[in-house]
Amino acid sequence: MIKTILLFPIVAGILMLLFRKRFIDNLLLNIYAFLHFAITLFLVFGNKLYQGTYFAVDNTNKIFLLILSFVFLMVTLYNNGYSKSLPSFGVQVGDKKICLYWFMTLAFVWAMTGTVLTTDLGIAWVFIEATTLSSAYLIFFHRTKTAIEAAWKYVFICSIGIALAFVGIIFLNVSTGDINSLSYNVLYNNAPMFDIFWLKTAFVFILFGFGAKMGLAPIHFWLPDAHSESPSPISALLSATLLNSAFLVIVRVFKLMTIANCDEYARIMMLVMGFLSLFVTAVFVYHIKNYKRMLAYSSIENMGILAIGTALGGVGYIAVMLHLIGHSLAKASFFLTSGNILELFETKRIKSVNGLIKADGKTGWLWMFSMLAICAFPTSVLFISEFLIVKTMISQKHYILCVLFLLLLTVVLYGIGRVVIKMAFGEISEDKVKILEENKTKLSAFMYIPQFIMLIIVFILGVYVPPFLNNIISCASAALY
Amino acid sequence: MENGFIILFGLTMLYLAATSRIVAHIRLLIAQGILLFLICCCNMNHILGIHMKWLNFGFLVVETLIVKAIIIPWFLYRVLKKTNANRDIAANVPHFYCLVIASVILMAGFLVSNYFISSVKMISPIYFGVSVATIIISLWLITIKHKIISNVIEFITMENGIFLLSLSVAKEMPILVNMGVLLDVFIAVYILGLFVNVINKEFKDLEVSNLSDLKDYEYND
Repeated sequence: MIKTILLFPIVAGILMLLFRKRFIDNLLLNIYAFLHFAITLFLVFGNKLYQGTYFAVDNTNKIFLLILSFVFLMVTLYNNGYSKSLPSFGVQVGDKKICLYWFMTLAFVWAMTGTVLTTDLGIAWVFIEATTLSSAYLIFFHRTKTAIEAAWKYVFICSIGIALAFVGIIFLNVSTGDINSLSYNVLYNNAPMFDIFWLKTAFVFILFGFGAKMGLAPIHFWLPDAHSESPSPISALLSATLLNSAFLVIVRVFKLMTIANCDEYARIMMLVMGFLSLFVTAVFVYHIKNYKRMLAYSSIENMGILAIGTALGGVGYIAVMLHLIGHSLAKASFFLTSGNILELFETKRIKSVNGLIKADGKTGWLWMFSMLAICAFPTSVLFISEFLIVKTMISQKHYILCVLFLLLLTVVLYGIGRVVIKMAFGEISEDKVKILEENKTKLSAFMYIPQFIMLIIVFILGVYVPPFLNNIISCASAALY
Repeated sequence: MENGFIILFGLTMLYLAATSRIVAHIRLLIAQGILLFLICCCNMNHILGIHMKWLNFGFLVVETLIVKAIIIPWFLYRVLKKTNANRDIAANVPHFYCLVIASVILMAGFLVSNYFISSVKMISPIYFGVSVATIIISLWLITIKHKIISNVIEFITMENGIFLLSLSVAKEMPILVNMGVLLDVFIAVYILGLFVNVINKEFKDLEVSNLSDLKDYEYND
């Protein structure tokens, strides 16, 4: 099963490069999306645990795999509509270019699947770097000057970050003493015997290296650029799945720290980085000019919340898992809807977008509800997760942190809410009506349904978590202790 | 012998800090590749495990001699010819001070490793000092250079430093991980090289300052 999910894209990729026909390449990507989802359901809900030498499904990565697979399926559905409307961006999109786009999407998802499934820190490193390289082309897709800048920054900053993470892995290798393996299970079993000094040093490098990929605050600089310049389905994938994969690696190393009994140190670092992320978002989101950048900053904020939840521990772990699901689905929906807006208004400038609901009711309301979902409006699952984090803070007597957390979240909520409401309501200027009508015909049903499904799930999970999902969440949070 | 090569490797970093011609930097990458190969040869018995000895050795030859000393410099040389970037002048810090700061970092590397690391059994201090100093000097040079192709060169020297660091630990990484790392670094350099070409086409020159359009406080589309 695991072999199929990892080998199919290699075969499909070769076929794509051989055929280079729009229809066949698109079909292959769709087949992979459905196959990926089917196999994931089988792996996650099947009775037996699938273990291999290097790849396995265990309690921790089940939930990450499920999110990755579901978001990929939804983004692929959206892509079917999006790729038809691509030429409207003023960029001539040839068959060759669009086929390369599909090929790179396949490679990107393959690398993320590898990161999620692997049980070896070294191989996780290799796959994370592979995600950087495969998504570089996707960010560069529109070939504008700003796209080059974003892609350059992305590859350069992430490669340096990941290189420093490798230094961390070397230090970890020093701390392990006689054990010559990077497999998580072997590391966990022998963790109490590790050299504490080198383990702590290793954690700093690994947290900063993979944190750069995850978008935590002091090293987040590539994130707003890359997310705002890439095509919208790719922004959705970057935000909803790539950041999660990097987070999974951090969580696994964090567990190692817990077992080795120096988690206090790790917790403080993650808490500082988490709050710094919230602070950066609160500062920048306040006077933002570009709505896709706003969504990117919101991703930084949510990654900060995940780091804070992990640092708190206890009930915080459950909150983290819920937040992971909620953020991925709501943010993917938000980014996909922003693709519709870009299609309609042909600009990323907040000032130029008015009266979205009048221009296109469905897009307008999806935009509004995505905002409500991401801002933790009740019955959104994010409300539950943030509530649980606040509760954990109070029960652990971190009152000042709790106030700071709520204050920063409120500022972010105001920053995002103001922009979204301004864009959604109001009147459309006369000169735009004609262009809007024309652009509206380009939006197909594929460009509404995925967001609708994802938002429904986010709002339902806030009141009812089905037992099978509850089981996975509690297993995942229990695995962190 | 081995220590001599390592010190030479450290000195190449000083040369990198003190020169401005990019062709010289690329030649220096070749020298670093060959030095790394020689270092590997010197302590072959030490580095290579008993299992799959020849496979490991073949891999190291491919990594240091073929990739680091031939393919990457050749590729960068081609990029350089296409883009006509000869010198990285007007760096933020004058060359003399560059040299002084790089020397201080290198010396600090030696001192720290001799005082603190010598107690750790598994790490040889001279390796550790030079490799850490190389990584820090490279990172620092990235921040002060103006041409993006120099940034790529310093990225590669940083990777060389990390390679030396991994040699300093008297344990072998699984070969699968090693191969993956090599492949990733190689592709990263390739992609960065392609971007250098694209940037050259779009912007007419290779200054880092061209790449500062994406900001939050000004409108950009």
